[in-house]
Amino acid sequence: MMLANAMLTEQQARTEAERCLFCFDAPCIHACPAHIDIPTFIGMVRSGNTRGAAEVVKTSNLLANTCGKVCPEDVFCQSACSRGKVDTSISIRELHLYATQQEAARGYSPLAPFPVRGDASAAPKRVAVIGGGPAGLSCAFELAKLGYRCDLFDPAGAGGVPKKTIPSFRLSLRELRTDVDFLSPHLSLKEEAVDVQGFDRLREEYNALFLGVGLGLDKRLRISGEGLKGVYPVLEFLEAAKSGELSAKIGRQVVVVGGGNVSLDAAATARRLGADEVVLIYRRGEAEMKVWRSELEEARRQGVEIRFLTSPLEIIGDDFVCGIRCRRTRLSDERDVSGRRIPVEVEGSDFVMPADTIVVAIGEEIKSDFVRSLGVTRKGFLMVDERYRTALPGVFAGGDVISGEGTIVQAVAHGKAAARSIHHFLSGKTSRIQ
Amino acid sequence: MTDTGYSELPIYPARDLSYDFLGLHFENPFILAAAPSTDNIEMVRRAFSMGWAGAILKTTSVEGTRVDLAYPMMSSYDYEGKNIFGLGNIDLISEHHIDRIEANVRQLKKEFPQRLVAASIMAGRKEDWQSLVRRLENAGVDFIECSFSCPQGNIGEDPGKMLAQSVSATELTARWVKEAAERVPVSIKITPHVTDIVEVARAVKQSGADAITASNSIQALMGVDIRTFVPYPQLDGMSTYSGLTGPAIKPITLRTIAEIARNVDIPILGTGGVSNWHDAVEFMAVGAGVVEFCTAVMHHGFRIIDDLRSGMSHYRDEMGFSSVLDIVGKALPHITVHENLRRRKVQSRIDESKCIGCEVCYLACRDGGHMAINRGENRIPVVSEDWCVGCSLCKLVCPVDGCIAMTIHHG
Repeated sequence: MMLANAMLTEQQARTEAERCLFCFDAPCIHACPAHIDIPTFIGMVRSGNTRGAAEVVKTSNLLANTCGKVCPEDVFCQSACSRGKVDTSISIRELHLYATQQEAARGYSPLAPFPVRGDASAAPKRVAVIGGGPAGLSCAFELAKLGYRCDLFDPAGAGGVPKKTIPSFRLSLRELRTDVDFLSPHLSLKEEAVDVQGFDRLREEYNALFLGVGLGLDKRLRISGEGLKGVYPVLEFLEAAKSGELSAKIGRQVVVVGGGNVSLDAAATARRLGADEVVLIYRRGEAEMKVWRSELEEARRQGVEIRFLTSPLEIIGDDFVCGIRCRRTRLSDERDVSGRRIPVEVEGSDFVMPADTIVVAIGEEIKSDFVRSLGVTRKGFLMVDERYRTALPGVFAGGDVISGEGTIVQAVAHGKAAARSIHHFLSGKTSRIQ
Repeated sequence: MTDTGYSELPIYPARDLSYDFLGLHFENPFILAAAPSTDNIEMVRRAFSMGWAGAILKTTSVEGTRVDLAYPMMSSYDYEGKNIFGLGNIDLISEHHIDRIEANVRQLKKEFPQRLVAASIMAGRKEDWQSLVRRLENAGVDFIECSFSCPQGNIGEDPGKMLAQSVSATELTARWVKEAAERVPVSIKITPHVTDIVEVARAVKQSGADAITASNSIQALMGVDIRTFVPYPQLDGMSTYSGLTGPAIKPITLRTIAEIARNVDIPILGTGGVSNWHDAVEFMAVGAGVVEFCTAVMHHGFRIIDDLRSGMSHYRDEMGFSSVLDIVGKALPHITVHENLRRRKVQSRIDESKCIGCEVCYLACRDGGHMAINRGENRIPVVSEDWCVGCSLCKLVCPVDGCIAMTIHHG
């Protein structure tokens, strides 16, 4: 059942839920980074207990409405569904969305009071969470469940990447607001930026820190013409698109450079903003693209043209961009560290594509110097161990900053796991929750 | 902890479903029926730790009773893509005799003092029935269920007849049991295979027994292999009748419970065809004070208790009931005999905005109703007010929720 974000009716939800095989030790639960107890919540949808179903989802994934909308189910739960081996996988994400939106519409179940940790004689342990995106929110909420009170620092408030750059055709602010409203009583939000001095001060004031700061800095192509008017780094482009300030300025011919999900978002956004022609250029082939198939299909549905084996050489223009010089590539037999075939340029194959807007979407890196100074991996992400600890004692991290542009549900999973690690650090005990 | 090994910190309050019934304290209205799921102490332990309020250990007997099982034992009535719409079994009582069950009761009560540990018994002679009762009471059992209705084992007065098919035998045997039970309540498990269930229920009441368990499986022939002509289950080219349980028998049980509750003032333990909390509410609404599960657990495991408890507590809160006991009997004032039903002109109404144009209702009415639906423009059927008698067949065959409604005709 593919209904692409139209909410299921009660009848559709029940019919789909009745297809579930209710596997033991269900593969979908393992495939979900947040480990939602999927067969249990689907059983509840089937029996008409949608409120119970929403509670099961939210117990494991606090950004329930957001993930219900944008989670790449073909990558996670549904890819593992046993029913898919019989006929087609259960539409797990749509059932998840159905349950959580039913609850949101009818009013939330009241939560149990969270425990208060520590005895009266000792000062309560405090945790600062830096970054209000999915990882930070998840970490703060899990810590609240464990009995800690958290301060969450983000100059832009709660929401992070989903709020700023996920295109509104994929995620309206409504789902996100629903989730943030649910969480906000359980953390105290401080709309402050944290710089290196602030970071040092927080380390003194708090017993532990969590960095969920994301990446935030667009990688540059480092070719000539990148400074011309009409050339946008992708984050800037998507933020401007989401805030509405870009709608009048989009050109007629847009070229997007990149090969990841964010580049597909940008290309689809450009079409929706009214560009006549949107071409995505990627220096490798379709098989090498690190994208979700559903996003690729969506971009194509929007009329985005994708030119594979095309590498940008130079952006052309005087003041404003007027085109991009490209060179064809071919895939060599050699493979890079990711196991993908390395593209090599084909001499004499240069050509120019006219363009009045160029979006550079070739990835992000860590924006903050002090975060980078804590130690980075070979790919340039913040280094943590298996317990989400950075090199600094008491400083933990999760989300995109440690793993690159990931999914919301992965960030949620990082936040939960890091919170349990922080609890271990602060209490000297392993949480009974593993 | 789920069966995947992940566990989460709870964020929702534990919900209290507890209440008193039969002089016992039930943590919730969901207990396990005497069946394979309760024949092994390890399985009952698992059920209790997952939140089942009680378990009736599989029917036991005095030492020396011959229990001669035959396999394969189970067969499924599959219906339109769903397996185990009905489950057939040719099981007998437990192979564990009373000595083993006494030990299990003692052990379970020690480990789970808050849970209700009951036992089901079956015997022939008076002294055996009474010995079983006394030994179970001494072991600390919370209540006793007496199987008067196992479709295979017939230790009644007539060979081939269930005990509960004889009114006099039911009353006599129940009286023996009740005589021996000094401390704990006794429930008699009856069969719907009788001409007059009320007569049987009155006999149970007359005997002094504390409750009725309604009702046991339905005798059935599960199907026939049309190439070999051997029915199911197949044992070396032969078969026999099974006891049918599961969703297929729910309407039969509902009627049985309702009929007893409407006529005899006696507590009822409802069982037979209940699959989820919604079914349990229906069982309670027609008079059951507690609900026993078997086939649903055999199909989906003890973990169904999560939805049972969650769904029941949300239902109770939404309905504004203070206790699940408020549900008991709620449907009974709405059941009467046919001649008392009010005669009104009822008509079918098709919601054109919902109609998908399948014309299934047209076909059903044309060939199985009253030829009261006509084909209309754009495949939207039109009900003829003159011809429609309001039988509701069209509504039942309609594949769209809420598309066809039956309305009172004024005019």
